[in-house]
Amino acid sequence: MIEDDLRAAFARREALTPPTGPVRAAIDRAVVRRRRRRLRLRLAGTALAVVAAALAGFTAIAPRPPETANLLATPSPTPTGALNVLLLGLDQAGTGRRADSVLLVHVPADRSRLYLVSLPRDLLVPIPGRGTDKLNASFAFGAGPSGKDLSAGYRATRQVVAQLTGVRIDAGAVLTYGATRELTDAVGGVSVCLPTAIRSYHTRRTYPAGCQRLDGAAAVDVLRQRYGLPDSGLDRDRNAGRYAAGLLTRVREQGVLTNPVLLSRLVTKVGPGLVTDTGELSLPALVSAAGNAASAEPVAVGLPVRYTEKQPYGFRLDPALAPGFLDALRADRLGEWTAAHPKQVTGLR
Amino acid sequence: MTYEEFADARLSALLRYAVMLTGDPHQAQDLVQETMVRVQLNWRRVARSDAPERYVRRMLTNQFIDWRRGSWARRVLLRGEPDEALPAPSDHAQSAVDRDQVWSWLSRLPRRQRATLVLRYYEDLPDAEIAEILGCAVGTVRSCISRALATLRAEYVEVC
Repeated sequence: MIEDDLRAAFARREALTPPTGPVRAAIDRAVVRRRRRRLRLRLAGTALAVVAAALAGFTAIAPRPPETANLLATPSPTPTGALNVLLLGLDQAGTGRRADSVLLVHVPADRSRLYLVSLPRDLLVPIPGRGTDKLNASFAFGAGPSGKDLSAGYRATRQVVAQLTGVRIDAGAVLTYGATRELTDAVGGVSVCLPTAIRSYHTRRTYPAGCQRLDGAAAVDVLRQRYGLPDSGLDRDRNAGRYAAGLLTRVREQGVLTNPVLLSRLVTKVGPGLVTDTGELSLPALVSAAGNAASAEPVAVGLPVRYTEKQPYGFRLDPALAPGFLDALRADRLGEWTAAHPKQVTGLR
Repeated sequence: MTYEEFADARLSALLRYAVMLTGDPHQAQDLVQETMVRVQLNWRRVARSDAPERYVRRMLTNQFIDWRRGSWARRVLLRGEPDEALPAPSDHAQSAVDRDQVWSWLSRLPRRQRATLVLRYYEDLPDAEIAEILGCAVGTVRSCISRALATLRAEYVEVC
């Protein structure tokens, strides 16, 4: 009957089946193309400069003339108490921009040094109105599908980070590739000490293990690399910390922090790729607070996390270490904590 | 199991299945290619499932059912039917025409119903497994099949 006719019709069409060889080859070619596209979208990481941020970043507002005047005038009360500055390094321009490098700069109340706390971009966090997703996605949700509204992206990530850590974010900056490049070149290159050699996935350049001075293009290149590193994204975050520390040193050596003219010149050079938020603080006040703290070598430390082997994949807070770490961050006792947990600290030399 | 082993063992079966679903070797090839690209990119997840073969078949079926959403499916098929690549009918001419009509009516069925018929009468799968592939209840599979067969029977009556 009709069932038999169906079976017969199907059976006769078996002859139409294309040979597997060419299909297989086409699949493999398409996979290569797709992987490349995915990388291009994701890569990035830029960790940009973050720290500079700590310093120069604040200044970013300065390029506008009235602000510059304000900067030079300097009469504003210096903030007391601990400060937290959020630095975001964006991935490549395009749709759905993400913050692939997230660095929280903690300035302790005693201004003894800066703590550069890197938050892994793959950390699973509650995002208001979006359920649980990766930390770097919060920027994309805020910045919208066009990825143009960097301030909205920053605000979204700031809210998520504030919720996660329980600290108030006093100021922050967003850096694009371009801003990082300009910033690095403007200070005459940044010294970074790499624990292992890096071969760039993007430019095929090789950066040997050990200390070297990177110019703007090389710095961006290094900050984007995560493939081939032993800890992948986490190692990239550590390199961002190393870069930030090197940049701080450079900025300090040149006296930028104590010389408003140099500072405003630097900020002007970096241009519009740098978006900053100084909250209720004035720019000079922030710079002066960070400047005092920056005279000692900073401590770079990673938020303690563990990888989850079940869906959704990503990092979660390490149940053994993270509560203590976050308590220390909130209570401004990071000095004690990092002294007690040397393994969590990134080597800068 | 690696992706290579899986492709070696199952690719031709998947292609045959796709031919039955789409009724066209070129579209079948596109459908399989699109699915297998995703399989390869997400191989770890596929391999972790209880039955990778069924998992992939489910991906392929969903891809077929949803194909308007994908760009590859937006192309217009310009070839006339019936397919000239078919082996010449060896038996009575009229009966061959009738049977070919079953094939062309198939293409007018909703995709989901067509997929159900292929799984039932070509792959000879039990209802429970079809339900799993389509992601619906066993009762839905049965009603889907009976509705599809009723449509085909109605066509038969019209012709005869």
